[in-house]
Amino acid sequence: MESRKVIFRIKRFNPKKDERPYYKEYEIDVPKGMTILEALQYIKDNIDPTLAFRAFCRSAICGSCSVKINGYPKLACKTQVFNELDVYNTNILTIEPIDNMEVIRDLIVDWDSAIQKMEKMRPYLIPDPEVVPETLDEECKVYPHELKKFDKFTDCILCTTCYSACGIVRVDSNYGGPFPLARVYRFAVDPRDSLKKERAKIGFSFDMWNCVRCNKCADVCPKHIAPVDGIMKLRGLSIEIGLRNNPGARHVMAFYKSLQESGMLNEVLLPLRTKGIKGVLENLSIGIKMILKGKAHSPIMKPIKEHETLKEVMKRAMEVE
Amino acid sequence: MGKYAFYPGCAAKGASKELYEATIAVSNKLNLDMVELPEFSCCGAGVLEEIKEVLDIAVNARNLAYAEREGRDIVTVCSTCLLVLRKAKYLLDNDDELREEVNEILKESGLEYKGTVDVKHFHWVLLEEFGEEGLKEKVVKPLTGLKVYPYYGCHTVRPKDIIGYEPSENPQSLEKIIRALGATPVCGERRLECCGFHAFWPAPNISMKLTGLNLKDARKESADCIVTPCPLCHMNLDANQERALKEVGENFKMPVLHVPQLVGLALGISPRELGIHRNITPVNCVQIS
Ligand code: SF4
Ligand code: SF4
Ligand code: FES
Repeated sequence: MESRKVIFRIKRFNPKKDERPYYKEYEIDVPKGMTILEALQYIKDNIDPTLAFRAFCRSAICGSCSVKINGYPKLACKTQVFNELDVYNTNILTIEPIDNMEVIRDLIVDWDSAIQKMEKMRPYLIPDPEVVPETLDEECKVYPHELKKFDKFTDCILCTTCYSACGIVRVDSNYGGPFPLARVYRFAVDPRDSLKKERAKIGFSFDMWNCVRCNKCADVCPKHIAPVDGIMKLRGLSIEIGLRNNPGARHVMAFYKSLQESGMLNEVLLPLRTKGIKGVLENLSIGIKMILKGKAHSPIMKPIKEHETLKEVMKRAMEVE
Repeated sequence: MGKYAFYPGCAAKGASKELYEATIAVSNKLNLDMVELPEFSCCGAGVLEEIKEVLDIAVNARNLAYAEREGRDIVTVCSTCLLVLRKAKYLLDNDDELREEVNEILKESGLEYKGTVDVKHFHWVLLEEFGEEGLKEKVVKPLTGLKVYPYYGCHTVRPKDIIGYEPSENPQSLEKIIRALGATPVCGERRLECCGFHAFWPAPNISMKLTGLNLKDARKESADCIVTPCPLCHMNLDANQERALKEVGENFKMPVLHVPQLVGLALGISPRELGIHRNITPVNCVQIS
């Protein structure tokens, strides 16, 4: 069987013994089809029994084996070594613990911070007595068209891969993070839930508007959930329930207005529409520089050709249930 | 050669005029069959999705339908437009019910979405049409010795389910272009990190911090300049550079070029035609005659 010599550069750290993390290299023969997790297990069984990592199901379902492979978080049990060698065109793979959580030992991180944050966001069904029967004798139906709204978010295995990749989690300690916020959305549109759209307020207080839509969470999720989609929809719900007087929501409405007026974004009016006079003043100096460089358009914009079709499309889309 | 419908997006028509100028200049020089459709509207930058998903998709199905009418693939110079248009296409192509619903919305305006055109980024088209070698042959002023930091940002690579052009963990398209122009790519660890642009309004300090960290990374790699395929990243990195660096306690100047500006310089197009004079941070890394 085809095999390749691979060097695994593994980040090691035992807080009880080591002053700081260090890297240790292991060279092994990897047969085609071997996963990162199998390679780690091989190293532990045959070369270094002190190597610590976490894994249970080996089937991409328990979510415990997420590690960083050449800087990118993935489930070790789902990732084949050969594939990684090809992507990076190398025979050296650096394996590190995932980010945004404290390292317990070697490749094992403490999930508690992420999970505790999620718990505070009440991501569980709070039954609506009008919908959910009191006894188990009656069933509580969820119809396919209702399920479609939140179906994909129920696939989350809580592996925290997305959380570890999120740049906003890194810089904003109050930020809920991708999978917790997506979970809030999941219950906000569950017809059996009593809080319903009001759950958007939870997202609001956990800084959902700070999400930069970088799509890292969508990219790394082993279950293809795209938590960012849930966050976008949760923002939408917040606007629906009237949380409109904030820069995030006003920015959204500025876009809508621009499309209605001309079909193109009116960048000149954007600061004013999003943050009022404060927005203009905050960005005055850069605004002036841009004008001097000929980078501004007139605040009155000429509509695009067939602007009428755009307005019609927007009107009809807004009427859809 | 492919037939392309140029989708500049709002930034290139407004605050990043130089990107529009450079793209047209490069496309003319390389004889690309690329025309801008006057019916194209703003893609909504993902923001419309926050009002209502179907609104976002319908607006972009309209854009796609106009390109289909002309039988031209859409080519954009904005990473966010790329993602938004590709996402709409992806959802429409994979959900029959949604496509029917959206076509019902378009019908009144005499339009229909069929799914016959692709959506590409301008620099992918350069590589697809000419390849690294072919592009090299077109170079008249090689950028020898210039160390360029390829800053991808987010939406040209992620999420892979929708973008899928190259491995999102380790894309190489910008490096290929930089090498073809005779320059040297210098890659830092933040080349795939976000610039924070889409949180600029609700959280300017966070947005500026991310940009500052990216600029610092380019500096650490001793880059002479940064090149980016996204005008929104460019706005944060170039126009907001001073503020971003202040946020991370730094003070230096790092030129930031749009991809077509860098390509254009190597093709021998005059800096003026490429709108280099409009960049806020002076572009002093290349000899501008
Ligand atoms: S899209 Fe939002 S939630 Fe997802 S990783 Fe980026 S900032 Fe975090
Ligand atoms: S959303 Fe995906 S990446 Fe995030 S915790 Fe759930 S399964 Fe893991
Ligand atoms: S071991 Fe369970 S997900 Fe990898």
